[in-house]
Amino acid sequence: MEHSTAVHVHSPSEASSAPLSYYEVMETAIQELLIQKQLIGAGEIRRQIEVLVSRTPALGAKVIARAWVDPEFRSRLLANGRTACEELGITFYDDTKLIVLENTPKVHNLIVCTLCSCYPRPVLGLPPDWYKLPPYRSRAVIEPRAVLAEFGTVIPDDVEIRVSDSTAAIRFLVLPVRPEGTENYSEEQLAALVTRDAMIGVVPATIDTARSRK
Amino acid sequence: MQPVQKRGSKAPTVFTGIVLAEGEAPIFEVGEHIRVLTRSPIGHYRVPQYVRGKRGVVEAIMPIRELDNEQEAFGRNAGSKRHYYRIALPMKELWLQYTGSPRDGLRIEVFETWLERN
Amino acid sequence: MNQSSELLTRLPNDIGGLPGQPVKKVDHVLEPWEKRCHALADVLDFHKIINTEEKRRGVEDLGSEIDSAESYYERWITAFTNILFQKGILTPEEFARKMDEVAARYANPA
Repeated sequence: MEHSTAVHVHSPSEASSAPLSYYEVMETAIQELLIQKQLIGAGEIRRQIEVLVSRTPALGAKVIARAWVDPEFRSRLLANGRTACEELGITFYDDTKLIVLENTPKVHNLIVCTLCSCYPRPVLGLPPDWYKLPPYRSRAVIEPRAVLAEFGTVIPDDVEIRVSDSTAAIRFLVLPVRPEGTENYSEEQLAALVTRDAMIGVVPATIDTARSRK
Repeated sequence: MQPVQKRGSKAPTVFTGIVLAEGEAPIFEVGEHIRVLTRSPIGHYRVPQYVRGKRGVVEAIMPIRELDNEQEAFGRNAGSKRHYYRIALPMKELWLQYTGSPRDGLRIEVFETWLERN
Repeated sequence: MNQSSELLTRLPNDIGGLPGQPVKKVDHVLEPWEKRCHALADVLDFHKIINTEEKRRGVEDLGSEIDSAESYYERWITAFTNILFQKGILTPEEFARKMDEVAARYANPA
């Protein structure tokens, strides 16, 4: 049996005197064993945390705002979401592709992952808990209008709702309709109107959004 | 095989006699009517029960062939790849009691081995 | 089909279309260990030690009782541990010894 040298992984819990939870101990143990066995490098997890922290809905908002002001970028975005994001420096650190779903006056898009929690993380960051929990996952595909109503979004009957259920290597981002009255907005001002929830499709983008954004 | 040069133009050389490997060419076309198969795997699957046996239309062919994700889950990280298809399924096809608009629909990516012509 | 075969043929995560509660718009800031756990998943995928699809299957393998009892990242780290055993990368003994070592370290900070 190998004698384990103390591979000491930095944990913020070191600062406190509270004991770690069972799963926190598990995560630390697995990480240390993998580093000890040289299967992963000591700094890789920290580095990947930085990657994850750098991905927020602000990136997606920028993509949407650019699509609103630049029709040719919009076309490229709809043709290949990933490469258009890469144009703006938003790299995809995994093997996923991106399909951007265009909302129109006749079509409203909504994204869900019924089987797990697939989400366009490289361009939106990590998903909210509600997106990953059973109520949304089970109901979005069978009663999307009722689910949208719970977010305060009422879609008229003559507008088609399209629910995209992610099951493979494709991820989705909703391109909301540009709000009325924003003709003179700068790209930055437009980006401020685009919330994460609008890019999931549970709410539209509105001028009032900036006041109620999380 | 002989390269066939089109005369009087700078059109690209066209080869005849190239044979594609199994799974290289998509089996289904955009607009084709398909049905999701009804087999019942255990252990792992990525085609949810609610779409099995349902009829829809191929909306798009994912351009880059990928591994079978149901096999990938058991460590098969390489090997033959096939196409995934973005399938459009009307809500009323999925749910007998669907109460939303008759226009509402679902989109889902399904691996080629889960589909048949309808 | 009797009840146990239904547990096999419908995975615990295959819930599309099943009845559900109203959506509560809950969210939480990830704890540091949860962030590390998510980063670990990505690093394991980069190294082809555990790919994303294997992780999903590992979570499904936990079964419905543990699936309900554990939180999102608790499922991930449990699944990783099981898969690492299955792949012969870790043994339960070395895992358990390391768990005790880590727990002792933080129970009695130096």
